Amino acid sequence: MFEIEQQNQSIHDCFFVSGVGKSCLLLQFTDKRFQPVHDLTIGVEFGARMITIDGKQIKLQIWDTAGQEAFRSITRSYYRGAAGALLVYDITRRETFNHLTTWLEDARQHSNSNMVIMLIGNKSDLETRREVKKEEGEAFAHEHGLIFMETSAKTAANVEEAFINTAKEIYEKIQEGVFDINNEANGIKIGPQHSPTNPSLPSNNPQPGGGCC
Amino acid sequence: MFRSRSWFGGGLWKPKNPHSLEHLKYLYNVLSKNQTVSESNRGLLVETLRSIAEILIWGDQNDSSVFDFFLEKNMLSFFLKIMKQKCGSYVCVQLLQTLNILFENIRNETSLYYLLSNNHVNSIIVHKFDFSDEEVMAYYISFLKTLSLKLNGHTIHFFYNEHTNDFPLYTEAIKFFNHSESMVRIAVRTLTLNVYRVEDRSMLRFIRDRTAAPYFSNLVWFIGNHVLELDACVRNDADHQSKNRLADLVAEHLDHLHYLNDILCLDIPDLNQVLTDHLLNKLLVPLYVFSLDRQRARPSSPKNSPPYVSSVVSLFLLSQVFLILTHAPLVDTLAKIILHADRQIFSNSATQDKIVLLQQGKPSIIQPGFLPPSESLEKSLETSLDLSSRSMSVGSSDLASPCTSEPRSRQGSLEEGINTATRSFKGSLDKDTEETNLNITDEEKHMLKVLECQSEPSACPSDGEIKATSNEGPMLLSPEGPVPLAQPLSSQPFIESVYNALNCQENDYAALFSLCLLYALGKNKGVSGVLLHGVLFPCLRPDAPCSLLSNRYNVPLVERLVAIITLSVQPSAKVRLVTLELTIRLLSQIVMLGTSSYLQDGHLAAIEGAKEESSSNLRPFYKSEEIFLDMFEDEYHELKKRPLNVEWLTMDSNVLLPPTGTPLTGIEFGKRLPCGDVERARRAIRVFLMVRDLSLTLGVEEERSLPLTDSTSCVQVDHVLNLNNSDLIGCSVVMKDGSRVHRFLVIDVIQLILVEPTRRLGYGVAKLVGFLQDIEVTGDKDDSRCLHITIHQPLSSGASKRVPLLAAKFIFDDHIRCMAAKQRLNKGRKVARQKKMAQIARLLDIPAQPPNPSSAYNLLTARRQESALRGAVRIAGGRDQRQLYNAQKLPGHAAALRRESTPSPTNSSKSPDRARTRDSSRSREASPKPVRPRSEEIPLEDIAKVKDQDASSSKDNSSLLPIPSTSSVPNTINNSPSHMSYQASNVNDSPLGESSTPTSGSPPKQSEETSFTRRAPQRSDRCEQRRRGQVETV
Repeated sequence: MFEIEQQNQSIHDCFFVSGVGKSCLLLQFTDKRFQPVHDLTIGVEFGARMITIDGKQIKLQIWDTAGQEAFRSITRSYYRGAAGALLVYDITRRETFNHLTTWLEDARQHSNSNMVIMLIGNKSDLETRREVKKEEGEAFAHEHGLIFMETSAKTAANVEEAFINTAKEIYEKIQEGVFDINNEANGIKIGPQHSPTNPSLPSNNPQPGGGCC
Repeated sequence: MFRSRSWFGGGLWKPKNPHSLEHLKYLYNVLSKNQTVSESNRGLLVETLRSIAEILIWGDQNDSSVFDFFLEKNMLSFFLKIMKQKCGSYVCVQLLQTLNILFENIRNETSLYYLLSNNHVNSIIVHKFDFSDEEVMAYYISFLKTLSLKLNGHTIHFFYNEHTNDFPLYTEAIKFFNHSESMVRIAVRTLTLNVYRVEDRSMLRFIRDRTAAPYFSNLVWFIGNHVLELDACVRNDADHQSKNRLADLVAEHLDHLHYLNDILCLDIPDLNQVLTDHLLNKLLVPLYVFSLDRQRARPSSPKNSPPYVSSVVSLFLLSQVFLILTHAPLVDTLAKIILHADRQIFSNSATQDKIVLLQQGKPSIIQPGFLPPSESLEKSLETSLDLSSRSMSVGSSDLASPCTSEPRSRQGSLEEGINTATRSFKGSLDKDTEETNLNITDEEKHMLKVLECQSEPSACPSDGEIKATSNEGPMLLSPEGPVPLAQPLSSQPFIESVYNALNCQENDYAALFSLCLLYALGKNKGVSGVLLHGVLFPCLRPDAPCSLLSNRYNVPLVERLVAIITLSVQPSAKVRLVTLELTIRLLSQIVMLGTSSYLQDGHLAAIEGAKEESSSNLRPFYKSEEIFLDMFEDEYHELKKRPLNVEWLTMDSNVLLPPTGTPLTGIEFGKRLPCGDVERARRAIRVFLMVRDLSLTLGVEEERSLPLTDSTSCVQVDHVLNLNNSDLIGCSVVMKDGSRVHRFLVIDVIQLILVEPTRRLGYGVAKLVGFLQDIEVTGDKDDSRCLHITIHQPLSSGASKRVPLLAAKFIFDDHIRCMAAKQRLNKGRKVARQKKMAQIARLLDIPAQPPNPSSAYNLLTARRQESALRGAVRIAGGRDQRQLYNAQKLPGHAAALRRESTPSPTNSSKSPDRARTRDSSRSREASPKPVRPRSEEIPLEDIAKVKDQDASSSKDNSSLLPIPSTSSVPNTINNSPSHMSYQASNVNDSPLGESSTPTSGSPPKQSEETSFTRRAPQRSDRCEQRRRGQVETV
């Protein structure tokens, strides 16, 4: 989720990470104090962080969708509640790349077309074990209109950029008025506003074991 | 040794390695020295807490002694101590984050047990954080969610205490079920589902007895309020202003239903019963179903009338309910109420009895009606949990009365002996019923009695029995579903208003949802079949009561559906395409059993009439304009490619707004009325196609005429083609990106093919295939050898954005070849299109009158069939053709004209060898064969397709000889079974051909014209018939 403080108005947008090694990425982004080291694999399913875009303070809240795949209502709601989503695959495991289509279909079906989706090829540090070429990721992203980036939660390469670029994209859409930030105005009080309907998805198991990084 | 020493001694100074036991000891020291949070140590504490998380996870993965130390020193208690001071969100957030990291990343099961064993976690859960701080809230709820993901048969005991009847993880979480932040609500829902799926009997009993009623009643109220909001949004938004808001509310309602369905699908009988009870009594019946018949239900003063929604909204929501929920006791009961309930249901007590009875004969003490819960969830839980410790034995032993906690909490006193209470409560209700219904008829009283009697014996069927019970369900209605048909509809207010909504005279606003609801009812697996046979499906048994109606299907409904169809074929009808499509689908479902139709003649005649009308409405749009063909094919493919998905339809909030005609709303074409001539034409096409399809289905006829392109006869990319006897034009294809390939261009009957020669002489592989009808050819001003050719995607490909299949520059060897190619492409395009237009003309029963005369040969035979008038048309056509060429001023059109009159020289200029062969073969044929492909046009059957693997044998080779040569090389025919039929028809043809010679006027010209005609075997049959007819005419 994403919160933008601006002229006494705060806006929330949410987004999620899906896929493989996402919880490590999330921790890497939200808490710099955790040093990625080789003998420690650590991640979180929720994180918040302030960033600055255009001189504006923006609070990003990121919710991981792990572990809820069994319940349709949950994945559905997540998609609806997010302004952006990060689809993550593991460049050292081809099958995670092959699953992307399914996730994307799911995401597109439940979310509105404004949701910003970023495709992330994680573990770019493991060049020797690479199974998915960077070009393939680029091609997939191009074909489906996604932003693409390769990252490494281990070396922190591009992690910052991945999240911030996604946030920027959302921010731009808000500025353009694509996201109607006023639309949940009446009825039940929704603290700061919610934006659009969109979530992203879960993946297969978020790599419980040694996978991440 | 060393370790034990350091156990006590270490930790006074910061070790260098942050991932070590030493470091944890150091942190422990820091914590013990800073047990009081102050401004000055805040930062230190936060960093300490963070480091602890890091070390513990590192330890979990690398060194178990770290965890031992953590537990030994009971470090979690420090957490609690810090928390209990008002430490501010900075510290709180870090604390929760540390816990999150801890529980999320622990892989070692024993570590997890240790962490949970001392009940600190439960103390943390019940701690009252400052939930007004959004970030604290978010971290807190993520923490609970994370814990719920760790639940299983073992860990549940750390969270649920059977002896104290305490389950803080669950009870604390559900207090946020209606939190304003949707992410929090989602987390709560995730947690509840994770809890429910742990199979632990006593925990589930606790959930049901202590929390289910308060939670579900509040949840249902929450949902109901969303529904009211949605209704208000629809009411106040006639001009589509708050579409986003409405879309949100619709999606929210779907979320609710999916959540309920997820719970019901876990199949926990006790829980499902409570939930079903609440849903029916508190929401679905009083709010959704009663709103169907609002006026008559509550004619009195609006002051005290219960909340309601408009019937359109109610139909829409009920459709969603039936499309999503499948829990049999719930949907079956609801279906029964909609289909069979009578007016009496509006009296409160009767509602209750009926719902009870219909549901499973199980008494419910929930007051029916859409009413707010008597107190907040938090309060109910408190009451219920306080009482629970005292009343544990009563509550948990009484499996049969799941809803006890609600009345208890409502009345504020604990009633002993729930069964007695229930009975007496019900008794008093019965009395009320007697009193309040003094004015009811004897008949009704009798029914009430019946209801009550029936509710007695079936005390408490198990879940398994429920379905059986409801199937046999005595109801007010007779045992077999269909009987209600015989009753006057007016006694059944709900189904009556569903049927009445089908009236589309004014518009189809409500009709669409009424159809959705009926469709959803029929599709729902939880609704018993008995209920629907004779209503939404044909009657199964002819001896069933419906035979009394002498019908095997629901006549009143079918009449209404037929009326919609009849109405929608009117050009000015206010029926949207989506409504028509759904009507047709529902109609087939009601009257078709397997592949046979029970539709009565009268109804069938109405459908046929509608079909006639739809085709006569379409005829005025049938023009020679190219766009008509494109539109026709477009609509056909849309229809086939995207059959209506009702579930998606009911997800679209746009349909909830009154139907509109303007495309500016962004509503898809099918879901609004047409706007402008083009859209009216599209609508006419679509209506025609749909009604025609229905008529075919009902007549159990096979589709023979559509799609217009027979894809099985098309060349595909990578097919290996025999190109002997095909005209090839060599060219270089230069793509936009500058890449350049050499290819041979082949122009087939309907396709343009770019081939690459194979090693085997005379064969080529198709590298690119496009339909001639989709090409666009322009010359190049600067280079007379060049053509710019664009091949658009065929509509059938389903490509959403119409990126051209190919857009490239073709460079030919010389100007002559270039011109020839251009001419052939243009002509091929025209002919391909004319051919299809003629097909459409046949579909529409338009007397074969070619929109463009140069299609004359296509329709030649058809025209011959007709009178001399036709001949005149053809002659006129010939003249037009010339004008056309003049008008177009095609480069090289002179050559074209020349070629028309003298075909062979042109041929020889291109492929002298083959032209000669062909000429000679032609001369050998006794001229009467009127239909012969001209050599330069390659009829489709000339290009025999062979698979790579079997393309090698020479035997195949001979069998693949082009057909035109078969007559001159008869011995090859025997090798080629696939050509047998052709040969046969050829043979049949010859005498007829001869007889037709006199009438055909000038044979050379005719052969010229007919050379474009594709002579597929079945086609020649048709020709044969036509010619026969023609002979008769002559």
